[in-house]
Amino acid sequence: MFVFFTDTDMDVNSKLAKERGFELISMPYTLNDKDVFPYVDFEEFDSKAFYDSLRAGSMPTTSAINTERYIQYFEPHFAAGNDIFYVSFSAAMSMTFNNMDEAVAILKEKYPERKFYRLDTKGITILSLNIFYEVSEMLKLGKTPEEIIKWAETEVNKFAVYFFADDLKFFKRSGRVSGISAAMGNLIGIRPIIHINDEGKMLSIGKEKGRAKALARLVSYVDELGDNVKDHKVIIGHTDAYETAAEIRDMLIGKFGELDCEIVAVNPTAGSHCGPNCVGVSFHAKHR
Amino acid sequence: MEKSTLDGKLFAQMVFEGANNLRANKSIVNDLNVFPVPDGDTGDNMFMTLQSGCKAIYDLEDDALDVVSTTLAKGMLMGARGNSGVILSRIFAGIAEGLSHSTTADVSVLSNALHTGVKRAYESVAKAVEGTILTVYRDACLYAAGTAKEDTTVNSYFNDLFDELKRSLERTPEILEVLAEAGVVDSGGAGLVFIFEGMLNALEGRKNEYSFESESEAPVVDFSKFNEDSSLDFGYCTEFLLQLLNEKGGVEAFNLDDFTAFLNSVGDSVVSFVDGTVVKVHVHTKTPGDVLSHAQKYGEFLTLKIENMTLQHNETTVKNRYVAPSMNKKKKIAVVAVGAGEGICNILTDSGVDIVVDGGQCMNPSVANLIDAFDKVNAENIIVLPNNSNVVMTADSAAELYDKAKVHVLGSKNIGQGYAAMCAFDPDCDDIEAMMQDLTDAMADVSTGMVCRAVRDSSVGGAVVKEGEFIGICGDDILSNSEDVEEALLKLSENIASDYDVILLCFGNDVSEEEAANVHGKLEKAMKNSEIVLINGAQPVYDYMIICL
Repeated sequence: MFVFFTDTDMDVNSKLAKERGFELISMPYTLNDKDVFPYVDFEEFDSKAFYDSLRAGSMPTTSAINTERYIQYFEPHFAAGNDIFYVSFSAAMSMTFNNMDEAVAILKEKYPERKFYRLDTKGITILSLNIFYEVSEMLKLGKTPEEIIKWAETEVNKFAVYFFADDLKFFKRSGRVSGISAAMGNLIGIRPIIHINDEGKMLSIGKEKGRAKALARLVSYVDELGDNVKDHKVIIGHTDAYETAAEIRDMLIGKFGELDCEIVAVNPTAGSHCGPNCVGVSFHAKHR
Repeated sequence: MEKSTLDGKLFAQMVFEGANNLRANKSIVNDLNVFPVPDGDTGDNMFMTLQSGCKAIYDLEDDALDVVSTTLAKGMLMGARGNSGVILSRIFAGIAEGLSHSTTADVSVLSNALHTGVKRAYESVAKAVEGTILTVYRDACLYAAGTAKEDTTVNSYFNDLFDELKRSLERTPEILEVLAEAGVVDSGGAGLVFIFEGMLNALEGRKNEYSFESESEAPVVDFSKFNEDSSLDFGYCTEFLLQLLNEKGGVEAFNLDDFTAFLNSVGDSVVSFVDGTVVKVHVHTKTPGDVLSHAQKYGEFLTLKIENMTLQHNETTVKNRYVAPSMNKKKKIAVVAVGAGEGICNILTDSGVDIVVDGGQCMNPSVANLIDAFDKVNAENIIVLPNNSNVVMTADSAAELYDKAKVHVLGSKNIGQGYAAMCAFDPDCDDIEAMMQDLTDAMADVSTGMVCRAVRDSSVGGAVVKEGEFIGICGDDILSNSEDVEEALLKLSENIASDYDVILLCFGNDVSEEEAANVHGKLEKAMKNSEIVLINGAQPVYDYMIICL
């Protein structure tokens, strides 16, 4: 039997994980010298409190979980004779997967019969969440992890995400967006447009003046790149900017009619790299 | 006594008296603004430029005319600030050029030299505007040359020159409509008249002692800027006059090229030249002791000044804001901007500007201020963002004089244009010429408005403004005026901001945060489709600035 894993960087919360039959790996962040493991140290994410703290000047950091912690997550299941299928956020964004590989290698020596599969969603937050929904639906329909891994080879890159940044300070410090370097200026009201490419890396692809233009540009991506948008979920993520997220939802519904739209508060670990007031949209696309 | 020739000593006295006279009258010149806002301050700019030249010749022992005029021109060039200051420095550079190789000058040499000044002044501006200091000076030179006869003395030549300067100045409103409308004569031209009036006074024997004390801003030194936790990032500004001594074999042994090479090996921003047996040295160094010991091998000091540059060391109140204190690695592209107001400087540095040089409105930075900033950023390419049309020429002059980096001056005429340019700035760009075009294009899209109090009754472009009223300005136009600052701002915004998505509302240092928040709310209500960001700009002069991106 397979045990399914996912992680909190995918914007999957404990309730959703439970509902879909997944174990949840908690990816930590450090705020004001305190390590926090989402959904281990708290049950409900207080998005407003977290991002308000960032607005007030706090600078959170994130860290990769270590090998030992992965062993703690995985070993009981191997010991019980089960295999593991882990749907994860992008390995291109974090060193944590080296630790995971090491943990798996150690466990494989102990439990050589056991199988371990990882599906890399090549994304994070709402992009990964969208793929998580697809995968969990397939599992419900009885698809095997092998079949899903095969599906993922061509289909993962048919989920796109486009978002805009507000205060570049966080992205600059994070260093995880190509095109946004520490040397780059932070311009008030000018919003860099960022997407995640086929390799699972974040890329700055331009900028727009003002919120209205940035929102219009996000909608235009859904319009131009969208593929069977109505047959899949459209997920709008925000870092404590619900009103702006609702605005883009209304714009999308105005343009496409009825949509399976969900607004999600981006998890604090990924949000540590974005800062407050970012909004993005994830949808099924011809390509990323 | 009528003089048939002019010598260096007399020329120096004339220049000192010119500076004295301008100093006594500079507030009159300052008030001759077309715009009823306290900008530019032409009188201060011209005076500081001339004073910088006076300082250079004050201690000169050699009174050969060519040495005096060349030293004066050099000093003025480094101290030049504001458009009129730059033009003035070019006039005297031309005069010096015409007097080179002349230890004294008769009327014909003098006349030619004054004409070279006309040429250099016109060459220094991209587009010569008639009805300004350029016209006034040219008219006077032409007139004096035209009336000169065999028996014309230096005195009568200068009298003719001065008479026509005054007449040409009176004519400036006939040539330049904006002057007529504002009911003023050209301020730069007026400054020039005061200078030549002083020069003529000295020539006629009516002169006063020149002193640097009165009214020149005393240096404000804040010693807390350098404490037990500081490190010496900028070194010492070291200046001295060295008298070479026979006793030490210095007169014989001293070689300026070798000496300059030594200075460059222990410091930078080196200016050194020899006048007779006196060496004038300016160097920024972390080890002034080495410089002094080396210099003392050749002679002894006449004057000596060493100042820690981390403290506010400038002789004026213009100071650089050093944003990145230790920049050891040469950057590919650095940006130097001119700005006023703490908050304004902060948004500029956030946007990627490396150093913001204080100034731009009432206090224009000098060529030397900008060159100091160029040294500090240590880059292969330097982009300069002026914040006032009065600063563009100073920046051009600084760029021309600077040879340690390629300096590109953007023609930004206000903070908004500079900020818009930063929106298109790419620090990693390889094709700087192409990027300069992008920056210029970016400037064209922005609209910047300012609100301040009118400093006098005025009429500009049909708008009749009363002293003390608030006026809303965009470019050369007054677009609103009201007793009420909010009304002036809202009307101005209606005019220029309605098509823009992002508006930065910067409030000045005389406006309280509550007041600004209130105005912000009203502006948001009035412009529902725009995103309006409130910024504590703390800028002087302007109660509000709106930058529409």
